Amino acid sequence: MSECLPLERLDDVTLRIPRSARPGMRVDGLIFADERLEPLLRGDRAAEQVANVAFLPGIQTASLAMPDIHWGYGFCIGGVCGTDPAAGGVVSPGGVGYDINCGVRLVRTNLTLADARPLIVPLVDQLIRDIPVGVGQGGSRVFSPAELRALMQEGVSWLARRGLATADDVACVEAEGCIPGARPELVSDRALARGADQCGTVGAGNHFIEVQVVDRVADERVASAFGLHAGQICVLIHSGSRGLGYQVCDDALRALREAPAKYGIELPDRQLVCAPVESPEGTAYLGAMRAAANYAFCNRQLLMWQVREVFERVFGKPWHALGMTLLYDVAHNIAKLEPHAVGGTTKEVCVHRKGATRAFPAGHHDIPERYREVGQPVIIPGDMGRASWVLVGGPRSLERSFGTTCHGAGRCLSRTAATKAAKGRDIRNELERAGVIARSRSREGLAEEQPAAYKDVDVVVDVVHRAGLSLKVARLVPLGVIKG
Amino acid sequence: MFAVFEHTADLGIRVEAPTLPEALADAARGLFTVIAGDLGQVQPLVEETFTVPGSDPTWLLYDFLGELHAAFEVRRMLFREFRVTITDDGLAATATGERYDPTRHVLAHEVKAITQHALAVDRGPNRCTATYIVDI
Repeated sequence: MSECLPLERLDDVTLRIPRSARPGMRVDGLIFADERLEPLLRGDRAAEQVANVAFLPGIQTASLAMPDIHWGYGFCIGGVCGTDPAAGGVVSPGGVGYDINCGVRLVRTNLTLADARPLIVPLVDQLIRDIPVGVGQGGSRVFSPAELRALMQEGVSWLARRGLATADDVACVEAEGCIPGARPELVSDRALARGADQCGTVGAGNHFIEVQVVDRVADERVASAFGLHAGQICVLIHSGSRGLGYQVCDDALRALREAPAKYGIELPDRQLVCAPVESPEGTAYLGAMRAAANYAFCNRQLLMWQVREVFERVFGKPWHALGMTLLYDVAHNIAKLEPHAVGGTTKEVCVHRKGATRAFPAGHHDIPERYREVGQPVIIPGDMGRASWVLVGGPRSLERSFGTTCHGAGRCLSRTAATKAAKGRDIRNELERAGVIARSRSREGLAEEQPAAYKDVDVVVDVVHRAGLSLKVARLVPLGVIKG
Repeated sequence: MFAVFEHTADLGIRVEAPTLPEALADAARGLFTVIAGDLGQVQPLVEETFTVPGSDPTWLLYDFLGELHAAFEVRRMLFREFRVTITDDGLAATATGERYDPTRHVLAHEVKAITQHALAVDRGPNRCTATYIVDI
């Protein structure tokens, strides 16, 4: 499909789908990709989805995609779309995805590779024993509907009042763990039921908890500001809003079914269903979405809390003596109203990030004070065999991508192709021989998520670095991972 | 009859059956096969009924799968057999299976939702095809 669309190279890291490619496109499509990633684009339908997003009313500048782009549903994964509410701009639940505020958090430790290596097997075994991971695995904490509503209204601070988060934890989460304007009363009973025992659970798919070591520091000054150094053990947590968030998105897609006809919006894909940001339907979705996003921040907080407890058990010291502080927690599936300069004017833009990470540069007021001088930490999970990265918001992110960068390596093999490629192989043993202890609840988990299913994160990160969207700070390699 | 088709991040199901009710039943079997892997491990112990209002076959498919998915997500029900009839008001179905038991059942995938991307029902003489993609 993508072969039908013209992909013009603008510079060494940017490809363009001209607005003229399809009648109905309101802006160009711009994809950040270099010559190494371009062939992958041509074998995937994601570029077609970039063009489809360009149809959305009120879209500003361009329909953007990051180098970890791949075929999604409606929006591509890695897609970024800013719309202007004052110009009839829309909000689309598909531009956020089912896993509202899927995101990552990175926890530092004061442990070194020498401390962790001898205990890595018991550590990973204890992590998968104690932390709910995989399909159908509920958590030990069950929240009543009233508790869930309070949690969604107040975010991580609600957990802090119950002794499950510190003030320092709260300070190091995007939006301090609470996106204002949440409307928990709009979250359905079915969503509350799905979320009751899932706050503090990893889930399945590409979600995981990974023990990593800092392999290489690319920027000493910023790494130092982030409290990172070579040889340091860290823990990366990747999960989102679990069944509660999935249901909020599902409910919104049903509620918006008639909205395109009502507002005279023509769409090339049903999954792009949307409503004007300032319409009753649009504001209702944003209110429920923010509530689910706050639930996701709390989910990752409770996961980190359990990780700290496991480390205490295995290393025999309190977590604070192990230096287990939160570096940062950032969403990569979200829609937010943010001021951005468009065509020389600063206006409020509804920025959809679907598999894309906010990456504000140094000095931005929305960055925690402790990092403001260097820029916002950006955490990029790769695959469980190769590497992940810590980046910092780049100088050109605001001008080029509404302050956004990539979110991961991006898949290059479908789940069925990955399973086929894993036939007759023992992925767990292969990883162990490569020095990674992997534990999964399902046989599908490791096969579908094997390293070969993903692009090389080093290449993806290199593109966003060269584009100035976010800059390299430190590379981390995996030692142990638990997956669904 | 259903088959899984490739999608980069997720999984697609394509169904081909002689009639719409049979296609909807096969689509439901496809959903629970994605969730449970092998439906042979699910015993037909409990029967539940589902009704979905509407007349558009595509939305009937979407809403029916949504109800079944919610039955698993909220009540942990795994189903293996389905009987579907189309009524004047919409769809009526019975689903047979049992509650998920972590000591006996090994699950394969967490389905986040049924997406509307590539969602389609196509009816011809003696033939009905249905397509949907689930978010994993």
